[in-house]
Amino acid sequence: MMDGVVYYDPSAAHITNLFKSKLSIQDHDHVKHLNPGVVEPHVPKAPRNFKTPISRRATVRASRLDDPLASPSRRAGDYYPPSYATAEKDPDTMADDDRRGGGRGFNNNNNRKRRFREDDDFDRRPQRRRYEEPTSAKLRRQLLTIAESPMKQPQDEAQEIARLFAEYYEEGDDKASFLDLMVQILTEQPFKIPFAAAVVLYTNESKPEAAAEIFTQVASKLQSSLDSGNWRDVKLILRFFGCLQVLFEGDGVFPLLDELFDRAVDLQVASQEDTVGLELVKIILFTIPYIIASPAVGFGQRAVELLAKTEAVASNEHALAPLVEIYPGDSDDRPFGYQSIIGMLQKQLQNESEKGWELACIPRLFAPKPKEEENGDDAAPTSAKHAFPNITVPSPINPGPKPLFPDAYFSLYADQDVETVPKTTDIASSLLRDVLVDTINILDFNRNATAKFLIDMDCYWAPDTFIKRATPFDKLKDVAGDKSTWKPEDMAVDAVFSQIFTLPTPEHKLVYYHSVITESCKIAPAAIAPSLGRAIRFLFRHLDLMDMELGYRFMDWFAHHLSNFEFRWKWTEWLEDIDRSDLHPKKAFIIGALDKEIRLSFAKRIRETLPQPYHHLIPEGKEKDTPDFKYSSDQTPYAPEARELLALIRKKAPEEQIQEVINRIHDQAAAHDVGDVLIPSTDAYVTAICFIGSKSLSHVLSCIERCKERLLDIGKASDAARRQVIASVVDYWKDQPGIAVNIVDKLLNYSIVSPMNVVQWALGDHLGAGEALTQSWVYEMVAGTVGKVTNRMRQIADARLERGLSAEQIELIDQHLLKERESMRELFRFIDDAVMGIATGAADGFIERDGEKGFGEEEGKLIKAWGERWARVFRRKAAVEESIVGEAAMEAKVAALGTQMDVEPEAGPDGNGAGAALDEDIIT
Amino acid sequence: MRPTTRNTVDRLDKPSSYAASKNKKRRFNRDRDHDDEDPYRREKTPDFEDKLREATTLYVGNLSFYTTEEQIHELFAKCGEIKRLVMGLDRFQKTPCGFCFVEYYTHQDALDCMKYIGGTKLDERIIRTDLDEGFAEGRQYGRGKSGGQVRDEYRDEYDPGRGGYGRALAEDLDRD
Repeated sequence: MMDGVVYYDPSAAHITNLFKSKLSIQDHDHVKHLNPGVVEPHVPKAPRNFKTPISRRATVRASRLDDPLASPSRRAGDYYPPSYATAEKDPDTMADDDRRGGGRGFNNNNNRKRRFREDDDFDRRPQRRRYEEPTSAKLRRQLLTIAESPMKQPQDEAQEIARLFAEYYEEGDDKASFLDLMVQILTEQPFKIPFAAAVVLYTNESKPEAAAEIFTQVASKLQSSLDSGNWRDVKLILRFFGCLQVLFEGDGVFPLLDELFDRAVDLQVASQEDTVGLELVKIILFTIPYIIASPAVGFGQRAVELLAKTEAVASNEHALAPLVEIYPGDSDDRPFGYQSIIGMLQKQLQNESEKGWELACIPRLFAPKPKEEENGDDAAPTSAKHAFPNITVPSPINPGPKPLFPDAYFSLYADQDVETVPKTTDIASSLLRDVLVDTINILDFNRNATAKFLIDMDCYWAPDTFIKRATPFDKLKDVAGDKSTWKPEDMAVDAVFSQIFTLPTPEHKLVYYHSVITESCKIAPAAIAPSLGRAIRFLFRHLDLMDMELGYRFMDWFAHHLSNFEFRWKWTEWLEDIDRSDLHPKKAFIIGALDKEIRLSFAKRIRETLPQPYHHLIPEGKEKDTPDFKYSSDQTPYAPEARELLALIRKKAPEEQIQEVINRIHDQAAAHDVGDVLIPSTDAYVTAICFIGSKSLSHVLSCIERCKERLLDIGKASDAARRQVIASVVDYWKDQPGIAVNIVDKLLNYSIVSPMNVVQWALGDHLGAGEALTQSWVYEMVAGTVGKVTNRMRQIADARLERGLSAEQIELIDQHLLKERESMRELFRFIDDAVMGIATGAADGFIERDGEKGFGEEEGKLIKAWGERWARVFRRKAAVEESIVGEAAMEAKVAALGTQMDVEPEAGPDGNGAGAALDEDIIT
Repeated sequence: MRPTTRNTVDRLDKPSSYAASKNKKRRFNRDRDHDDEDPYRREKTPDFEDKLREATTLYVGNLSFYTTEEQIHELFAKCGEIKRLVMGLDRFQKTPCGFCFVEYYTHQDALDCMKYIGGTKLDERIIRTDLDEGFAEGRQYGRGKSGGQVRDEYRDEYDPGRGGYGRALAEDLDRD
């Protein structure tokens, strides 16, 4: 046995020594003042490989020490072990795992209980003797954590991994798992691509054949990604090859880029609405800077030529672009107009070429001739060259599993007085954003890891790209001259919001992005929270100019976010806005946000969090768990009958008895000349159901279930009565509209009401002079209903694209498709007519009220603007659906079905255990 | 798919160690019934994993006793439409006792919920989610001696959201 050292015991002598040696090399004041005695238990990463010479750790770059984690003032709760993101925490279990060929399914990994942010990870581990870590495990761990530690020089890490791999390669067993990992790290942790590339560059110095084997592996992944239209992976792998340009003969990556460009042109020529060609050009543009920044020299001109070709495509405005604008319209107050990501990048690249390709933010990690290398006579510039792997661009191009839309650039902080993020003219803005967004979207299966990458982002770029983490905004003006004022946390927050505000929809459910922000805030509150505050203010300030759907997303995020942080917000900032008319978008936001907060909590609690002037926005009614039964008062018509109904439903009386009471209501109503006698009886019946079910959602659902037959019959008899069902539910729950929206949603499932009924009620019966359009729950109800219809539509479309359908099946589905598509269009038409009536002021309800007291010019203008906002949102939704399930789109997809028969579906990023059901519609 | 494929970072949508430990026990028992030398034993998927592979139900724990169905619905619907929500109840009093089952229509929604909602706050408490093989009648009741969840019997910290001190403990205190 080695020496019986207890490796994870912080009091062990060698750790103390190591730590002292670290301290001795730190030159920052705050670190100098560290009391080692206090800090020791918090050693950010217990070094595991003690064979590593300590001197290697002594070459720390100054900027890397600015890690706030090193600050003595950090809260204990903010601590996290930097390498928790990997499963490699415990090399011993890792090794076991490997030996057993484990890692399948729900593995035996007992890390589970003690993952994330637990200080005692290393202390409480049963102490056991240590065997030498197998090289495979060491390689895996080192590659996975490359560049993560601010205490190590990434070049050194890359060299060390290359050395180990070259040695290991000699021994020859199980290279495959390392090669697999190499591929995987490119597509799962894009921040590390330049670092992984550096490993290969160093490997090539000593073992060209090992480097070649890596290319082969990566190239086969590139091929399969191209074949399946997995564009993100294509982009990331090309980036990797771009970083390795120097290793290839001839023009290296460029011929492949040329070929992709030719394909893009073909696609663009073939269709005005093409987005795949745009995606290809985007990939080309995002590859170029990494080639230029790589050790390869002399490709500037080649890049300029390619850029000249891409310009026409990149600067072309896409037909759908106006629909995905974040701040639509032409007002001068808009914070920014539409800019496509690809158009912006094209311009930035051209700028950069004129400035001699500085590309300052990309880390340069490879020094061709490491001085301390043993064979000092080896002339480095002549390192081995390889032929670029053979890649076939499939024809026709597989558009990929997801429909693509033009990307609009979004930034909360760009181009403002203080430069906290790169200007939109700076190539860094695109490069940084691209990796951030990919990281966020790839790692949705571990939001903690995502958040950690966001916080540690500055580790993965050239030194001095950013200012020290968590530098307060008002300190930025003191920064001298040409030093960077880019705040890493602003970049991170900006990137997450760019996803929340992606139109038509971001890659993942919105709640994922909420959770990333929550985790980031938990990990580094001092850094993230102030940036978030500035983000909220920015968004609130421009709320009236923002696309309405996005305004709603903002509100939904805001309420959800606060619910994770004790509902704390500086409400006093918006005091002026609560005096505004309820029709104003800002006031509507406040009302909507408070309602959402209450739904996640309860009225009394939310009122406690608000300053006094806000209290009137939370009426008494919201505190009532059980709203009154309006028929308790004899003032309400049909009160005795309704009370009787209530008693009968409650005791589950036979239908005849209920019918008898309903008949009495009908008789009375008829005597009062009520046109549709079903309306008052339905009101009484449904209100009774709501009252009985007021205890909880389950109660009301089971009550509806019991009364289902009668409710369905009512619907068959009268459309107006069906809308009355909705009206009664909403009226009963008027103070807690969230519950009403929910119940209506369930009524749709039972087909007790139809989607058209809901929309007709919300934008017809309930529309008034257009005030309904300002109520966020009305939007929620309508958007939810439309979402149900479009989802179903897409499901039918997917069914049509299944393989191996018989002719009869196809015909059946086609009929269905035709019918459903027509009713979907009808729904969109109705919405558009209704809201355009308000937008133009032509709706009856609007004309009636126009000019009345409390409905002057100002109010009229506000309401018309709401009409326009609604119209925009639903026109976009309609256009999006057309582009997916419209006749033309379906024809194209059906035609493509035949040609893709040979392409094998590829395992997605969720190739592991629980997420495995995901190869889904890659082929469709 | 390569058998060795695992992600470079842990996934949050795997069953918890609690669920996995239940699994282990069962697998152990089964394994004993089989021939130990059977080289293909590992290939066989235990029922448990099969059930969770398609799981649409989540167990949700560490709720406050006062958290309502509506609150749960509001949060969990962010991951997809909810098919069924079953509140955990005290076996005797039939009042909420701090857990529930949420059933989605799709497995993917359940996984997303594990990833995006498990470990975040509801009603100002960090809630726990776990994949569940599906609700069965009877499981909505607490299994603790006094009717609630077992964990609320002997808890010695005061948790106002979950009935104060552990019930068994509180009884002891009363007796003294």
